[in-house]
Formats: sequence, C-alpha cells, structure tokens
Amino acid sequence: MPKVKKKRMGFVIDMTPLVDITFLLLTFFMFTAKFKSEAESEQKFSIERPKVTADTSKVPDKDLAIIKIAIDSLTSDTTYYYELLNEVDRAEVWKLTESVTEEMKDKAQLPVSLESLDDLVRNTRIIRSETVFAIDADKRLRFQYVWDAMDILRKNRATVFNYVTEKKGA
Amino acid sequence: MAGGGALKAERSKRGKASKRKKMKRVSYHLDMTPLVDITFLLLTFFMFTTTMATPQVMEMSIPPEVVDQVEVKESELLQLFVRDDNKIFYAIGNEDPQEIELNKIRAMSEVENLREGKRNRMITAVKPSNDADYGTIVNILDELNMAEILITAEITKEFDEDGNPKKRERRFTIAQMSEEELEKIKEL
Repeated sequence: MPKVKKKRMGFVIDMTPLVDITFLLLTFFMFTAKFKSEAESEQKFSIERPKVTADTSKVPDKDLAIIKIAIDSLTSDTTYYYELLNEVDRAEVWKLTESVTEEMKDKAQLPVSLESLDDLVRNTRIIRSETVFAIDADKRLRFQYVWDAMDILRKNRATVFNYVTEKKGA
Repeated sequence: MAGGGALKAERSKRGKASKRKKMKRVSYHLDMTPLVDITFLLLTFFMFTTTMATPQVMEMSIPPEVVDQVEVKESELLQLFVRDDNKIFYAIGNEDPQEIELNKIRAMSEVENLREGKRNRMITAVKPSNDADYGTIVNILDELNMAEILITAEITKEFDEDGNPKKRERRFTIAQMSEEELEKIKEL
C-alpha cells in the first residue's frame, strides 16, 4: 500500500497586531522618556530622599541649581555637590569661581566644600538672580549639614528654596 | 497627429477589460520579523531608561538674614522642637514643651491655628536640634503642609472689610534651636 504522506504545512503567523502594539508602546515610551541629566549619569552616589505626601509640584527643569548632600556608601562621609542645570550659566559660573579647577570646568556637577559652595551660590546669583535653588539631601543625614547649606543660601539672600523629595507610596 | 493616434492605442490596451484577464493578483507575505526585532529592541531600551518617578519638591522659605525684628506675642508662637533622638516636642509661647507624635502634629496644628482669637496670627517655628535626622524634619514639614490645607480653607471662608476673602498670612518656618531650649528639651 502506498504510504499516506502527510503534507508538511508551512505556516505563517500574522505579526501585524504584534507590530501595532509594539509600535504603540514604543512611541509612548519615546515621547514620555525623560533622560537622566548629565550629572546624574556620572554620579556614583545615590540619595535616599525623604518621602512626602502633600506637595505635588515637580522639580522645575529650568534655571535650577541643586545642592546635593550625599552620604558615601563606603566611607559614610558626607559630601556636598553642586549642580547647575543651565549650561550657559554653568560655564560662566564655573569660570567665575576660583575654586573650580581646570579639569573640573567641563563637569556638570562639582564636589564642593562649604566655602566654595558659598562662592558658587553667590556667583550663580550674580549671573542669574532668578535661579531656583533646591536642596537634595539624604534623609539619614544629621540636620546640621542641611542647616549649613540653608545658611549659605540665606547669606546669599536666596530665602525661598526647595527640598527635593519623593512621593510617598500608598 | 501620429503621436496622438499612438496614445489612443495604448490607452485601449490599458483598458479595464484587458487588465482583468491578464493580471494575476499575487498574494504576498511581508516578513515582519526584523521589524519586530528592532521595535522590541527600541521598546525595551526606552522602557529601561525612562524614570517614571520624577522627584518632587517642597518649597520652604526661611527668614532673611537682615534682622528686622518682628514683634511676636508669646501666645501666638507655636514651637516644634526636635531632639537628637528624633522625638518631637511642642510648646506654645513659654509653656513647658510636651511630647507629640509625628502623626498628631497635623491635628494639633489645625486646632491651634484655628483657635478663636489666634486665627491667622499663629506663627509656627520648627526648631530642630543639629543632630536630628533631616528625614524627620521633612516629615514634620510635610505634616504642617497638610494642616495648611484645612487652615487655609477655613480662613479664606472669612471676609475682610472690603468683602474680599481673607488671605492666609502666616505659615511656618525653620529656625535654629538656642542653647537654653536645647537644655530644656534634654531633660524631658
């Protein structure tokens, strides 16, 4: 008897709906994507921000100066960093400040001491007085460190500033 | 006119009748796999690089350095002290400080700020010890901010002489703790 040959069926999956959905998601993520700032991508520390309910205002992304106070995860030392978002201002402020060394000049974020922080804040205020200041500090810090930064802001007449916080999960 | 004739002939060739006879519809499949590959690659890239939780800000204002002394009645001053061990105490005027839990601050602030006679006149000052945690201070400020919602709502219900809603005038601030206060708190 002749063998009944089963016919091999080549099959094709219609990928169109898959492509539709993937493109939809792709465009969504492409448009909502907000990339890490220059400074954020190079920084090696992470700040545990205090969690807060009430305020819903987002961080302003124009003319913002951020004083970061971070705890080194290895040595548990406290370090101040200063970041300026406006690139044009940044170049000028960095140039104006003596404590910024030549190799630091192209960095978006500088590790600073309290004295140089004072200079930087003053120069920032000179270059653009409407710059908004924010303090981004780790919640485990002693308040003294934050107070010192606030004092510098106060001395430079920047009495309205922001604390960077994170939204409390439900 | 020869050109025109030729054109006419061509046209008749392209006519519908002839098309139906000769042209065969070829069904074709477009291989979408590489397209899907690339799209998925980009999709995963964007999914991993986006930061969904953007940080928020809490606005604060501190009194300027130039000291124009503002006279404040003692009874209109609400002070919140934070001790080294993050315990919170509150005192109105010169009263002895009392311990208060973090989650009670909101209710306390609402009651004190809306008390008859002191409405819209109370000044709240947070006075943290230098060794208190920054996180605790922000939590207290958060509670005070939440209390502002009700306080502001209540105060703007009232009207001034011109018939305009009253404005919330006094909010809270941060100040440094004095030595005496530090000593006082330590014993409690």
